[in-house]
Parts: sequence; structure tokens; C-alpha cells
Amino acid sequence: MRNIVIFGGSSHTELAEQIASRLNVQLGRVKLSKFSNKETNVEIHESVREKDVYIIQSGCGHVNDNLMELLIMISACKIASAAKVTAVIPCFPYARQPDAPYKKNGELLSRIPKDAFIGYTFNTPASTPANEVKDPFGIALARFEEQSANGASTSGVSARNGYKHWIARSGTLIANLITCAGADHIITMDLHDPQFQGFFDVPVDNLYGQPLMIKYIKENIPNYQNAIIISPDAGGAKRATAIADKLHMDFALIHKERRSQSQPHKTDMMLVGEVRDKVCILIDDIADTSCTITKAAKILSESGAKKVCAIITHGILSGDAIQRIVASVIDQVIVSDSVPQSDHLARCSKLKVFNVAPIFAEAIRRIHNGESISALFNIMDLI
Amino acid sequence: MSHGLILSLYTQHEFRRLGIDLSKVIVLKYSNQETSVTIGESVRDEDVFIIQSGCGEINDNLMELLIMINACKTASARRITAVIPCFPYARQDKKDKSRAPITAKLVANMITVAGANHVITVDLHASQIQGFFNIPVDNLYCEPSMLKYINMNIPEWKNAIIVSPDAGGAKRAASIADRLNLEFALIHKERKKANEVSSMVLIGDVSGKIAILIDDMADTCGTLKLATSTLRDHGASKVYAIVAHGILSGKAIDVINDSLLERLVVTNTIPHDDKKAACSKIDTIDISSTLAEAIRRTHNGESVSFLFSHAPE
Repeated sequence: MRNIVIFGGSSHTELAEQIASRLNVQLGRVKLSKFSNKETNVEIHESVREKDVYIIQSGCGHVNDNLMELLIMISACKIASAAKVTAVIPCFPYARQPDAPYKKNGELLSRIPKDAFIGYTFNTPASTPANEVKDPFGIALARFEEQSANGASTSGVSARNGYKHWIARSGTLIANLITCAGADHIITMDLHDPQFQGFFDVPVDNLYGQPLMIKYIKENIPNYQNAIIISPDAGGAKRATAIADKLHMDFALIHKERRSQSQPHKTDMMLVGEVRDKVCILIDDIADTSCTITKAAKILSESGAKKVCAIITHGILSGDAIQRIVASVIDQVIVSDSVPQSDHLARCSKLKVFNVAPIFAEAIRRIHNGESISALFNIMDLI
Repeated sequence: MSHGLILSLYTQHEFRRLGIDLSKVIVLKYSNQETSVTIGESVRDEDVFIIQSGCGEINDNLMELLIMINACKTASARRITAVIPCFPYARQDKKDKSRAPITAKLVANMITVAGANHVITVDLHASQIQGFFNIPVDNLYCEPSMLKYINMNIPEWKNAIIVSPDAGGAKRAASIADRLNLEFALIHKERKKANEVSSMVLIGDVSGKIAILIDDMADTCGTLKLATSTLRDHGASKVYAIVAHGILSGKAIDVINDSLLERLVVTNTIPHDDKKAACSKIDTIDISSTLAEAIRRTHNGESVSFLFSHAPE
């Protein structure tokens, strides 16, 4: 391919290499390091003048470091006269808008103390998002603790009566940062909210993991016509039904009821559909703490499912996720390698990985040659 | 102060003097390492000052700042001022070789894009960085506080000579020498790659004098150590170093302990209490009064130029 330079960020070099080798180009030479004061240093050792540059960086691991590295690389290529810079972000960072981890009056939800911990079960409450409190001077937290100790939390914590705490929703910000660094085009995969595309002022190609999931089901799940596709929450129903429709399979849904005020930890789950003696395939886009899928697996097996497996696009699997999956009744978790999985694979025998490099390589090839991307979604069987 | 809000991730004490408390803000990190910010107070139609320094985990701190600015913006703050005592990536400010990123410009763009209306910072590595912004930037100087420190804490200062450890900082050092009516010397250093200095040449006579090194940043402290031994070799009786931003990364503490430096004086633009505990040579200049006064003046629409030449009590 002519006039193309592909760079791999430090988050997921393996994927970058796979994509480059499928396109039969060498990865661009780039030195990524950190100065001793922890500033990110990027040196690009390859001419990019008037070239189409593709930078592959996933939003995983140290998300902020990786994001900053991506932004600096984009900006460096831009000011080095690259014709066009495309950010290829297999797993988009900050894609989920935060769930409020607070009660209505703004008080932090109480958590099970760490030392009271016995062992991981599938039902262990998520330690996210508060497992690492960053507050160097202890101001905010000391205040919270003080006030809950006084039992005056309701009136004290909220500054003005009726004020609901403002939680930052960083979606637009991240989109704007990438655009302002100089990206002309974004390629990503299975965005959590399809609306996220609208946050950008540049073209965004949102690829789907769905064709790869369908391929996996066809090839690896024997007798899949008799299995049933499950969506672990209402939000993902559309994603799951699309697969069920294409494979002419049955579909069921797990409905998460919102936590009640008196028992904030307890979430009731309801299964809608019949799963008895069937192989259940859970479909979701992100497995982070993997609470959702392990809880869903529990309900499914209680309802008589023969076997439960989960197919997930982005297996971030942070915090206690691996232990939770190991302890769960779930039989198999299949994730894509949009996030590096080799560490996870070594720690969990239930984990299987499908490769997304072909779909990204084909997308890059088509974008570079000015061909249609939408055709890509239909001819996935060929890849 | 009426209609003013200060959100700080940096330090609390300096704002007591403004007579207002810091607002409640909670910064958490999700287990997938994404940053989450919650603002515990209404900012609608308020004048918001957010204080965050570029130190420690720089990228995390920068993201925190950006997310906070953006959160205040979407929460309808009237004006948002980012107070950044130590501007991150300030040294990556030029395309010094092929395809080098101008990260300082990128950071400036990011802060603007996040929604800041005004930036207050201290001793920018290159004052040209002000031009990277399309919003007003107030670049405050440590110089008045440094002068005060020299006057009060170096008893023999009248027999001192001000030394700039590199040609780039000559202006900064010369200005202090002028204000104190002292002589001035310069060290020329040859740098083969970042954070490493190969050789030094002293221009000026320092024998029998107390040398005061003036610089804007002390990072790995290699320069300071070399400069100190160069000065001592040329007959300086004592060597002090006064530096605006004490980043002190890597093995800086060991380097200072090993060096012939009498004292390293840094400002508190970067928290360094832990480093002070490990190294008795470090002394601190408190510049919180300058920042607090700048915030007060900005909020009230007064001129800040007074602060360029005076350190408030």
C-alpha cells in the first residue's frame, strides 16, 4: 500500500503488529517513553510528510497515559505535515457515562470494608468505582467521613438544599481532545453509546464486533441453533437481538431492577424468557468488573440453563474481574483482543479470545483506498 | 469573596487567606483506571478557580484538570480559571528535531477545548507558551519571592554572585542580579540528550564569593550538581540554588545529598514534603500568597501587574 504509515501506541503493540502485517506494511518506527518526571515522550523516526497516518492505540491499562500518548502522537504527525491522521481506537476510553456511586443526598454509598473480605464469589459487590481514592490532602473524603459520623450527612453534605452532585460526563471532552490534537478520522469498535459518534466533528467509523461474534458462534458452539441468546441488561437488548435474528435463534433478556433506597447493594434481576436445558449465550459490549455477566450467569443456571457462556467485545476485566469469573458458574467467557488479553488468559482458563485485527486491517485498507466501509459489515463471512 | 468558588486538587492552606473554603470535589479512579470527578457544590453562574499542578502522575493530573474544567463548564459556571502553578509539558515547547511534538501547544489547546476561560500559571519555562493560548494567560513570577528569600535567609548575600546555570536562563538570573545590585556569571552547558549534560564552561569570576544559582526548574538535578562542582572548582565559597519548580524526579534527592550544594530552595508550586523529609538541604519558598492575591485580583477585576514586582505579605 502506498503512502501509508501505521504507528502502534504502547497500549497494544501486538494488535498493531497484526494489523500491519495483514496490510503487508511495516509498523512505523516510533520511540515511546517517559521522562523521569513522568511526562510522555514521543519520537517519530519515520517521515510522515504528505502520508496517510494511522495510529493504533487502545483505551486500556493506564487509560490517561495511553490517551495522552495518542494525543501527542496525533499532534506530532499533524505538525510534521501528515496529509491525514486517523486514530484507530479499538476500545474507546471513557465511553461509558458514569453511574452515580452516591446516594441521592450526595453521600458516598457505604462499601464493604476491605479487611472484612472472605473470598471472591460471583456475588461479591463490585469494588468499582471507589477502590482507589485519589485525594492527596484528604479534604473531600475527611469531610464526608466526618459528616456521616455525625449522622448529619443529609443536611451537611449538600451545599445548597436539593443540589444533586454534578458528576463529570467526559464523553464530549474526550472527543474534543482527540479532534483538537488533530485527528481527521476515527476508527473504533462497538461504542458503548452509538450517540458517542455525534460528539465528534470528524468522521467516526464505528465497526461492529457482531460479525466476528456470529462467526465464533457458528464455528465453535455445536448445535448453536438450539442455543439461546441472552442480553444481560435492557440496554444491550438491541445488540443481542441483532445476533439472534441473523442466526435465527431464540432470545431472552435479563432485566436489572434499580437498587432500592433502603438496600443500595441489592439489585434484583429478572429473567424474561425460557432457558431450561438450553445453552445460553450472553452478549454484551463491555465486561469491566464482569459483575453483570457473573450475576446473569447465576440467574441463568438457577433457571435451569445447561451451559452458560458469554461473548463480549471489550474484555477490560479490571479489578477483581478475573477472580469473579473464576468463582462464577459461567462456563466460558469469550472476549475480543481489542484490549491486550495475554495476562488475563494466563490467569483464567475459562477465557477465550477472538481476533479483531482482520476487521481493523480491512477497514484501514478500505478507508485508505476510498472504498465503502458499510460493505464490510456484510461480507464478514469472507474474512 | 462573593460568587467565587475554588476547586483545588493541590493544596488547601493558601486559600484560607481569601476567606473562603475550598469547595467539595471528589476525584476517584475507576478500577479500569478512568478518572471520575464529582463536584459537590453548585457552580451555576459562579466564578470558578480550579487549582491543579503538573506534577506526580502528570497525565492523570492533567486529565483530572480537564475533566473538572469540563464538568464546571457543563454545569453552567460563569467563568473558569485554571490555576496551574507548574505548567505540565512546558519543556516540550518547540520542534527541536524532525517530527518532535510541541506538546505544550497541545496541552494549551486541550485546556482551551475543555472550556477554561483564563489561565494563571507561575514562571513558565518559556514565556512564549502564553502565545499558545487564545485565552488570557497570567504568567506570575517567583522573582519577588526569591528576592525576599535571599534578603532574609542568606545573611552574606551582599558578597554573593548570581549565576545562571544555562544560557537560556540568563535573563531570569540577570534580572535578579540587577534587582539586588549584584554581579552576574553564566555557565554554558553542552547537552547531548535530554536530562544529561556533558560539559560546562563558567563565564565570570566567582572566586571567594557565595554563588547563588537561579533556575526555573530542578528535575533530575544533574545540571545543579555539575554547576555546583564547577563553581566550587572556580573558588566559590558556598553555593546556593534557588529554583522555581522543584520537580525533583528520579534520583534527584540522592544527587542533591551527594552534591556540594549548601541549600536547594524551591517554591511550593509542586508538593515536596516527602522529599524535604529525605533531604535536609531543601528549603521552601511559599508562593501561595502570590497565587491567592492573583486570584483575588482576577476575581475583582483588578490589575495583577503589581504582583510581577512585589511579593504580597
